[in-house]
Amino acid sequence: MGKMQATGFFTSLICLLLTTASFSQNQDCHCFIKGTVRDAHSGLPVVGATLLLVKSNQGVFTDAAGRYEFTGLCPGKYEIECRIIGYQSRRDTVNLTEGHEENFSLDEEEIHLKDVEITAHRTDAPISQPLTTLSGSDLARTRGQSLGESLQGITGVTMLQTGSSIAKPVIHGMHSNRVLIMNNGVRQEGQQWGSEHAPEIDPFVATRLSVVKGAAGVRYGSDAIGGVVLVEPEELPIDKPISGELNAAAFSNGRQGATSATLQGGVKGLNGFGWRAQGTLKRGGNIRTPTYFLDNTGSAERNFSLAAGYRKKGFGAEIYYSHFKTKIGIFSGSHIGSVTDLLNVIQSGEPLIKADFSYTINRPYQDVAHNLLKGEMHYHFSDGNRLKWVSAYQYDNRLEYDLHAPRNDSLATLNRAELSFRLTTLTNDIIWDHKPLAGKLSGQIGVSTLYQYNLMDGRPLIPNFDQWNIGIFGIERLVHNGWELEAGLRYDYRDLTTYRFVNRLKTTDHFVFHNASGTLGAGRNLNDRWSVRVNLGTAWRAPNVSELFSDGVHHGAAAYEQGDANLAPEKALNTIASIRYATDNLTLEVGGYYNYIRDYIYLKPQPEPILTVRGAFPYFKYNQTDATFKGVDLSADWKLSGHLSWISKLTYLRVNDVRNDAYLVMIPANRWENQLKYAWDSKGRWEKMFFALGNRWVGEQRRIPPGSDFAPPPSGYALWNAQLSGNLVFSEKKRVEVTLTVDNLLDTVYRDYLNRFRYYADDMGRNVSLRMRYVF
Amino acid sequence: MKRTNQNWNYGLIIGVAFLFMQCKSASDVTPDDENELITTVQLNFTPENTGFPTVQTFTYRDVDGDGGNAPTKFDTVSLQANTNYTLKITLLDESKNPAVDITQEVKEKSDEHLVVFTASPASLFKYTYGDTDASNLPLGLTGMVLTGTAGTGKLKVQLRHQPPISGKVQKDGTPGPGSDDVNLDFVLMVK
Repeated sequence: MGKMQATGFFTSLICLLLTTASFSQNQDCHCFIKGTVRDAHSGLPVVGATLLLVKSNQGVFTDAAGRYEFTGLCPGKYEIECRIIGYQSRRDTVNLTEGHEENFSLDEEEIHLKDVEITAHRTDAPISQPLTTLSGSDLARTRGQSLGESLQGITGVTMLQTGSSIAKPVIHGMHSNRVLIMNNGVRQEGQQWGSEHAPEIDPFVATRLSVVKGAAGVRYGSDAIGGVVLVEPEELPIDKPISGELNAAAFSNGRQGATSATLQGGVKGLNGFGWRAQGTLKRGGNIRTPTYFLDNTGSAERNFSLAAGYRKKGFGAEIYYSHFKTKIGIFSGSHIGSVTDLLNVIQSGEPLIKADFSYTINRPYQDVAHNLLKGEMHYHFSDGNRLKWVSAYQYDNRLEYDLHAPRNDSLATLNRAELSFRLTTLTNDIIWDHKPLAGKLSGQIGVSTLYQYNLMDGRPLIPNFDQWNIGIFGIERLVHNGWELEAGLRYDYRDLTTYRFVNRLKTTDHFVFHNASGTLGAGRNLNDRWSVRVNLGTAWRAPNVSELFSDGVHHGAAAYEQGDANLAPEKALNTIASIRYATDNLTLEVGGYYNYIRDYIYLKPQPEPILTVRGAFPYFKYNQTDATFKGVDLSADWKLSGHLSWISKLTYLRVNDVRNDAYLVMIPANRWENQLKYAWDSKGRWEKMFFALGNRWVGEQRRIPPGSDFAPPPSGYALWNAQLSGNLVFSEKKRVEVTLTVDNLLDTVYRDYLNRFRYYADDMGRNVSLRMRYVF
Repeated sequence: MKRTNQNWNYGLIIGVAFLFMQCKSASDVTPDDENELITTVQLNFTPENTGFPTVQTFTYRDVDGDGGNAPTKFDTVSLQANTNYTLKITLLDESKNPAVDITQEVKEKSDEHLVVFTASPASLFKYTYGDTDASNLPLGLTGMVLTGTAGTGKLKVQLRHQPPISGKVQKDGTPGPGSDDVNLDFVLMVK
């Protein structure tokens, strides 16, 4: 559980400050700070950036060469804030007292040089929406876990699980097609509609994982209803020496191991080039609950990514390829044939299938491969305008193997998947950032296109389809009198053609969906302690093919689910506001949201069951209603003393079906996390050492529609965890970060409402993990 | 400046080439292939010692599988009181042409299957297994039935699929392990 940095006022790039500090001999106020602001992506100076000295309210702009200068400063500690419209803002502390000799010369040639590199990364996120980023050591302490698991320390973010091996991120109670994942700037297109389809992304490709909470449909297009997950690799190391990173993680539960290596650098003798290669291996066996092993819950993963780029003056081009491949065993006790089977397992209270530890993955399992090839080009015009083009190709191949192979031996030996999905997606985005006007107004306009086709084999589940989408958008941002204002509009048009068999006849259906989205936001720093942000945003999503055409028993849920081809798109109107208070000792952030979703698509129980050869199944049909998602996210980081701090995070959510005055199913329960952290001063070669003891309390979900489930939601639970961490420093560039973590310290028996296997088995027991990260 | 424009153009060509990379069309739909589908269950009762061995057949039939059209046939099992019957079960997948005989496949994989007959009230219907698998455990494709005194109730017919899991044999002669491939509640009338 790392400390999250809530950054993110502005969008874009990197702002690099070269700071020079100088001191007078006689403590007079003749010190100055000066430097240059550069766009690290292009290396070009940034004109018109605002530099603020936070406490003194002094502000300057960068000149035509990107230079700035503060003069007449007294010695002391200063916080500089660098703000550029269209870029993410960044604060940094410059100490004008420490480490400087009294007899320092006033002469400028002899001044002490101190390079302060400030990297404010590109996020593209709306400035007025809460953005939480996991990076550096905080991210390192989640290594080895899946994307869904890595994000769950963020307030407002929970997980939807299918057993312990499949996790999807849930933002403000929404998941799957209501959460958009941007992988390296490209919309992730897998089979997101499935609750047992985890994101096909290796978190090791990223050095930053961010979550934008709330509807962000204008910038990102459809599906960004609950929020957006941004998976961002580092900028390519153009003309830099070879460097790298080695990560290793070992987990006691499942005897799982994960290792990942990254190597990167420039090319000697070739100016403007940079490259990166990265690879990950992961292997795990049967997961253990506090009292028994779960049969067939191992997993095996191997991924790699390659990137290369070239930059010269304003021009830049980049190519990126990533390959993700995983084989995940599905707990064999979760296979049920009929409602009777399910009721038997629920009544037994533990799985009927017993197991020992094993790494072997048998049926049922998923075998998923995801390939992403991305090309990007940009040109920064000398007058400040910018043109960017991103083109990406994705091929997602998902194979699902049922517990039972065909009875027929000749078919069984073929070992074909009972379900096979092959999804191919081409996306193109062209974005024009116009130059800042009067140093106040910046913005972008863009066109996004998507072409996609799906090929399906095996058991009937979803149809084949062809789909294309075009979206145009514009966002403008204004900084004036301490206010940051933002407004944007978008229009999307989607054309979907489906192909399927109905009673052995090929049937083609054609759909057109279109929608306009808007966003309006404001942010203001009231003083150096208080800041507020408000955003009103809309987002939409078209009904997905499974909602349109599902027709069959959902095994595992023991429900007969039927789609409705007349569903209308879902539209969200989200109001989100947050207040932040930050001093040296206390950081407090409170955010509230009210997300109104018109035509919310959900499975509505039908009065009559459906009779099949395996008995009668409860009958659910996709239906639409109006729903409200309202909640509060609270996080506090309080330094109780020089060593001890207390971190507290609260996630509160209430969801209502307002059209029927009812509750909705599968809404995460409220939770409260607390952590006490004791940090040491550096000892010898050890730095940044700390010990933390944490507790995660999750309530019982009591707001459920009556008669909608086979078993009541599990009762609440509290889990303890402990962490010991430190950095072993060999040189300025070489260090090893070591973290020992114990999750579920007391081996507590629990089940989570948002784990789809809660009917069958307990959740994971104690898990001791050791992580090492070597940076060179 | 001229040079960079050229780069831009090359990139454009590569990018546009991406757009024409489709090689298989979504409109070529492959027919549904559900390997475990059972559309038809037939219970064949042959009375013994009556001198008139006429077979009575009671059928459940849902040719298009789960959902879609409702089952076309779901007979009431109507039997005579205090009578001995031979009961044979036939399982078919009639969605395929020609129909697939699942009974034969169950027989071949007898060590992974168990047919279970449960009457309620139990006094209506007493079942004795008439066949076994290779491990001498009951199978249930054939069996003997002794009906009780007249009455009405339910006859639950289950085909338990009990294949080995992670290499471990599951079938132990009881209905416990595995999952249902068939689970039907026939109305039972004993006259």
